[in-house]
Amino acid sequence: MTAHTGPSDAHTDGVDNDVDDGVDDGVDDDERLPCGRLLSRVWDDRKRQRAGTADPHPRTCPHCRRAVSGLDELGSAVAELRRDETADTSAYDTAPLAERVMDLVRLELRPGRPLPLGEPAEDLWIMEAVAARTLRAAAESVSGVRAGSCRLFPRSCALPAGTGRGPVEVRLDVHAPPGVPLPELAERIRGRVREAADLRLGMDVAAVDIRISDLTDTTADSAAESAAGGAPTCTTGSQEGRTR
Amino acid sequence: MAGVAGQNAPPDARGEADDTLLAVRAAEGDEDAFAVLVQRHAPALIRLAARLLGNRAEAEDAVQDAFISAWRRLPEFRNRSSFGTWMYRILTNRCLNVLRSRRPVASLDAARDVPAPEHSASPARMAEARDAVRELRAALDLLSVEQRACWVLRELDGRSYEFIADAVGISQEAVRARVFRARRCLTRAMGAWR
Repeated sequence: MTAHTGPSDAHTDGVDNDVDDGVDDGVDDDERLPCGRLLSRVWDDRKRQRAGTADPHPRTCPHCRRAVSGLDELGSAVAELRRDETADTSAYDTAPLAERVMDLVRLELRPGRPLPLGEPAEDLWIMEAVAARTLRAAAESVSGVRAGSCRLFPRSCALPAGTGRGPVEVRLDVHAPPGVPLPELAERIRGRVREAADLRLGMDVAAVDIRISDLTDTTADSAAESAAGGAPTCTTGSQEGRTR
Repeated sequence: MAGVAGQNAPPDARGEADDTLLAVRAAEGDEDAFAVLVQRHAPALIRLAARLLGNRAEAEDAVQDAFISAWRRLPEFRNRSSFGTWMYRILTNRCLNVLRSRRPVASLDAARDVPAPEHSASPARMAEARDAVRELRAALDLLSVEQRACWVLRELDGRSYEFIADAVGISQEAVRARVFRARRCLTRAMGAWR
């Protein structure tokens, strides 16, 4: 890494930055230099590298030159500050902060509604968020599947929460891998979800609604696996289909 | 070497789940999904907060508050923007409030005391550059809260005027004016110390 950028080097940052946003229209409390030029204009020209083209004034006028060199000095200090920050943050460990955040989050959990478990006569319940976690994991045991929203509704949802018993309806959104017939995939996911609901939770499931909310090529790890096959490495688009 | 800022391996062993999916799960109360989002976005958010506040301890507090606020508001977050952009907006607002409550400003000496990290360069150049950086850090404390926020987002973070206007909650023209005033204030301050 080169250590120092002279004013003209540092300045290129600014050029890239400003040009994509269109023309500066000037600002209401602009400053007029003793030579009559507007400071915002002089800086704008500098940022666009227009100074040296047709107009000789900025190169000869001491006021304009001073204004430009001030901007250039600021530009190189900014570049240096950014380098400092990079050196500073590359060694920074965010784990303690993340732990503090999660400790606070766990004081404010949102477990959702209670759902019936076991026999109709039993008074046994499970919180929706807890059950959803198990069912998402079951869906993701199908290769390449990623589970998103997972909502559970008691069939008898007319009753107040925590009183309605009876079978539960599952509505699950998934991102599906490419190259698998979707009805077949949905059937496999449904099978795993029912199995987990039954064996791991003891929950009576009436229906498993599956919505394919995206088709993805799973990134990173599976990209390496499929590299030999030359599979595309990005999201292939969105296709929604609902099966039951 | 630069650019691998604090990226630990994601705790999610299944690989990279995308933010949208995780945000939906977190909105439904899945705190593990939220933990992955926190891990993933903390480094960039800390960097932004440190730039806006000029102080690492306050930056950490602001990021922590922003994440807690996000956890509470996730059920209303409908993925209209990306999770990252949404967090950026929450954090910018949080930092603006911190800056507003902080006036009058911290002393310039405090800003000058920030140590410059080591990097490879000739000693003379390094000293010169460090002086400039120190002056710049001190000069940032002379800006108004809104000038500072707009300037940092524009010049250090490289954000578009549109993005800044949205994050700060003012018009793009107002952002341009503030960036201009900030530049003028900074160039003057740095020139005066020379």
